[in-house]
Amino acid sequence: MRSYYLIPLIPALALTVMPFLPFVNSTGLWFGLPKMLVWGGVWCVLCTPAMLITERVMARRGEDR
Amino acid sequence: MTITLIFTFTGIVLIGVLGFVGRRTPAADLSEWAVNGRKFGALAMWFLQAGEVFTTFTFLGMAGLAFSGGVAAMYALPYIPIGYMVLFFLAKRLWSMGRERGYLTQGDFLEDRFGSRFLGTLAAVLGVLFVLPYLQLQITGLGLIVKLVTGDAVSSTLSMVVGCVLVVAFVLWAGLRGVATTSYFKDVVMLIVLVVLLVAVPAHFAGGLSGVFHKIDQLHPQLLTIHNGTNDHVWFITSMLVSAIGVGLMCLPHTWPALFSARDPKVLRRNYTWMPLYELCLMLPMVIGFAAVLVLPKNSDSNGILLSLSKTVLPGWATGLVVVAAIATAMVPAAGILIGISSLVARNVVRVRGERKQFWVNHGTVVVACGVSLLLGIFRPDLLANLLLLTYSGSVQLAPANVLGFTRRVPIGKGPVLAGLIVGELVVIWLTFFDTHLVGHVNVGLVGLAANIVVLLAGALAERRTRRMRVSEVSDDVAVTA
Repeated sequence: MRSYYLIPLIPALALTVMPFLPFVNSTGLWFGLPKMLVWGGVWCVLCTPAMLITERVMARRGEDR
Repeated sequence: MTITLIFTFTGIVLIGVLGFVGRRTPAADLSEWAVNGRKFGALAMWFLQAGEVFTTFTFLGMAGLAFSGGVAAMYALPYIPIGYMVLFFLAKRLWSMGRERGYLTQGDFLEDRFGSRFLGTLAAVLGVLFVLPYLQLQITGLGLIVKLVTGDAVSSTLSMVVGCVLVVAFVLWAGLRGVATTSYFKDVVMLIVLVVLLVAVPAHFAGGLSGVFHKIDQLHPQLLTIHNGTNDHVWFITSMLVSAIGVGLMCLPHTWPALFSARDPKVLRRNYTWMPLYELCLMLPMVIGFAAVLVLPKNSDSNGILLSLSKTVLPGWATGLVVVAAIATAMVPAAGILIGISSLVARNVVRVRGERKQFWVNHGTVVVACGVSLLLGIFRPDLLANLLLLTYSGSVQLAPANVLGFTRRVPIGKGPVLAGLIVGELVVIWLTFFDTHLVGHVNVGLVGLAANIVVLLAGALAERRTRRMRVSEVSDDVAVTA
């Protein structure tokens, strides 16, 4: 498996395990918002840089053609 | 109410007109009509693909889900970015194969990759069966929106009829280009409305966004966690996984024409990279759902809460704008779904000779599919509702076939793939309609997929053994002859 597949795997895993993380799936708020909304929103945003990095790595290795 | 009604019908007509504007001269053939000759650029592709995501379910359903299940609604946020990350790697290959081999539909792809007409037809029939209820959902959603705002059943039926006639008309004329032009309008008006509601609703009822959640934390803390009950951890993760597989492995047939319509694969990759940011908009109706918990009775119709709060907070004309946005989220996806259904029927089910005849079959299917959905939506809204349960869980049974088809040399023959697909579908049907409690809160699509893969692997082993035996028989014969 090529290493650049692992980069988007990080936000994907963080989003998938969301309800199983006790510090996320709990009452209380972060920045005035439910913790799940904050966690999900942040990792959703991080999907974009993850794919941008992957694209750059692929381009450097000449595997995006 | 009159102002809202005027806005409603003006909105429906405006969407229809925008659809017509999408094309100036009639499409020459099915490829031009269904995938715009494979020449859409970045902007059109962005709105086309975003248009697939933001439907009536997103607009009204997400608020309703947050109202009834709290943060359980968050299951709908991760699956799209996860699916897009898979497509980020797959789309280029799929697009290139589509261009080289002239695919327009999922049926074309499977038929060609496995060398099986039957598999292509079966995939197409299943696709139509599973997506038709989704089409009806958009049409009944349109009627529901008008009924919720006006309280008038006649206006509701009339809006469904007018909406359907206009969708059919602009789809017939403009094809996928009509969907693209209406998508621009839909997404802009939807975003404006959601941002206005995000500011106005929490400010009106709780003094602001933070106020809503502080009150929820004090009064209904259970809504801030995934806990035991209908929407528990198992439901959350399995529903999310099935939906992510559905998106990432292109299991829903109406998503194929949009992918093939891209000018080049870079456009697709750029879209999949940036689209997760756009998906954050899904959280906006969720916030409205949380605000509704504080003001509406628990037994309120969850699908109608966004419109109920809009009516309370906004003046008549602004509510009209909300209705226009909601109607757009019904009409535009309905047009995209119609293109998916009709091209499947014309290419993979009714196999006529000649491009012209195929074009006519396609156009006839647009009229029939929309007509059937409208009639059922008006007279028997419950009939297709049961089938809707199969839309995702049934569609994902095509995932193994799609994955094998993506490989350079398809490693397994059509036999095991067909056997797995049929067993998967039977398991899903059994668990959805006959033994509904057998697997608890596990999404039945995932159970069907497990059965599908087991049968597929067993079939592949049997296929390999048979092939080996044949080869050794042939070499024995050769040795005897020598």
